[in-house]
Amino acid sequence: VASNCKVKQNVVRSVGLLKTLSNFTRPRALTVGRLYSSETGSSTEEQPEDKPKGGFAAAYELHSDLKGQPDFPRSSRQDASFASLLRRSPLMQMGPAKDKRVIGRIFHVVQDDLYIDFGGKFHCVCKRPKVEAERYHKGTWVRLRLEDLELTSRFLGANTDTTLLEADAELLGLLEGRKGKTKE
Amino acid sequence: MAARILGKVVHSLRSPGVAGAVHSCSRHSFASAASAAAAKPAAALRSDDAGMDEKILKIPLTQPDFFNLSELFTMKDLFEARVHLGHKKGCRHRLMEPYLFGSRLDVDIIDLDQTMDHLQRALNFTAHVAYRGGIVLFVSRRRQFAHLVERTAQGCGEYAHTRYWQGGLLTNAPVQYGAGVRLPDLIIFLSTLNNVFQTHVGLRDAAKMNIPTIGVVDSNCNPSLVTYPVPGNDDTPISMELYCRLFKMTINRAKGKRKQMELIKGI
Repeated sequence: VASNCKVKQNVVRSVGLLKTLSNFTRPRALTVGRLYSSETGSSTEEQPEDKPKGGFAAAYELHSDLKGQPDFPRSSRQDASFASLLRRSPLMQMGPAKDKRVIGRIFHVVQDDLYIDFGGKFHCVCKRPKVEAERYHKGTWVRLRLEDLELTSRFLGANTDTTLLEADAELLGLLEGRKGKTKE
Repeated sequence: MAARILGKVVHSLRSPGVAGAVHSCSRHSFASAASAAAAKPAAALRSDDAGMDEKILKIPLTQPDFFNLSELFTMKDLFEARVHLGHKKGCRHRLMEPYLFGSRLDVDIIDLDQTMDHLQRALNFTAHVAYRGGIVLFVSRRRQFAHLVERTAQGCGEYAHTRYWQGGLLTNAPVQYGAGVRLPDLIIFLSTLNNVFQTHVGLRDAAKMNIPTIGVVDSNCNPSLVTYPVPGNDDTPISMELYCRLFKMTINRAKGKRKQMELIKGI
């Protein structure tokens, strides 16, 4: 399984919102096609290199991947199996969530708290920064550094973990250069 | 509040005598006593109309997917709506293990192949209940999605209960709401947990009252008492919107089909 990871080289990507997540393919996906048989969702393997992913650069690459999609045997998206969809999803490819750079969108604001959705199961809540505070409103794209996808902890005497239903991320700043949702 | 939503309804049953229903929606004794008297199917008196009613009710049962619900959603839609994302491994409920694909870095992944099948069954059942004029009740105690659930129920002409569940709502209905209350024929739980992460009381009560339930069960939920569990994510807004949209479309489609059948058979 370690050899599989070597195929993914030097590709910077980010975990953006759903539109980019699901249509995501990689330029070297042809080589990945050989690795079908070894996929499982239950691998706890970490990526050998922990690459920080630049938000905009990765998002731009994502969209340019979309444009020039060659015909694969499994090109009809409707036929892609769950296992292959899962394996190719950025959430799986990203590995451990610690210190990964992602982009997210603010979907709710409560005074100084920004509720940001970055494509995971939960949203994260960050404090509005002091610099350029007025630019953070509903719908803004921001850059985040993830800490945890879900804040859970097992307390003494409990059978299961207690979950906060929230992710943990640190706000790095605004995403520059993104005009609306479509890059094309 | 609940009284306003689940108000006292004396509803005439459309066909009291249909046997062999695929889904056993048993009418409750206190409801039938009142409504049998008020039942207006004069069709029961005339045999040809009774035959027509029989046909209207029997025909959907002949095909496995009469309402063509498989076209409403694809695996891709579920995947994009993040339905496969579960909680962390530590939050997992033991009985959800069969529905999980696996666990990736402590995050449980729900098997969408199974979810597709379960969702298809749940939607099919909802459609049949709505086709036969059954009452559907949407329940969810997630405050984040309360408004969405209520809007969904309004959009398909059914009922929703997203507030505090009073103890005797189903089990003590004739005392709390008066005699002759009609209880829902199907309860759809868009989240089976209440605000303190315990199983919603409504699940147990519905099972006591023989009301079938559909429930979206996440990896920390107990799927035991749910008649048609749908393993899936119930925490993300996009997946909740997907479920609400699917249920609303199903119910509207089924009701439209019923009107269509009545028009055709009436010719």
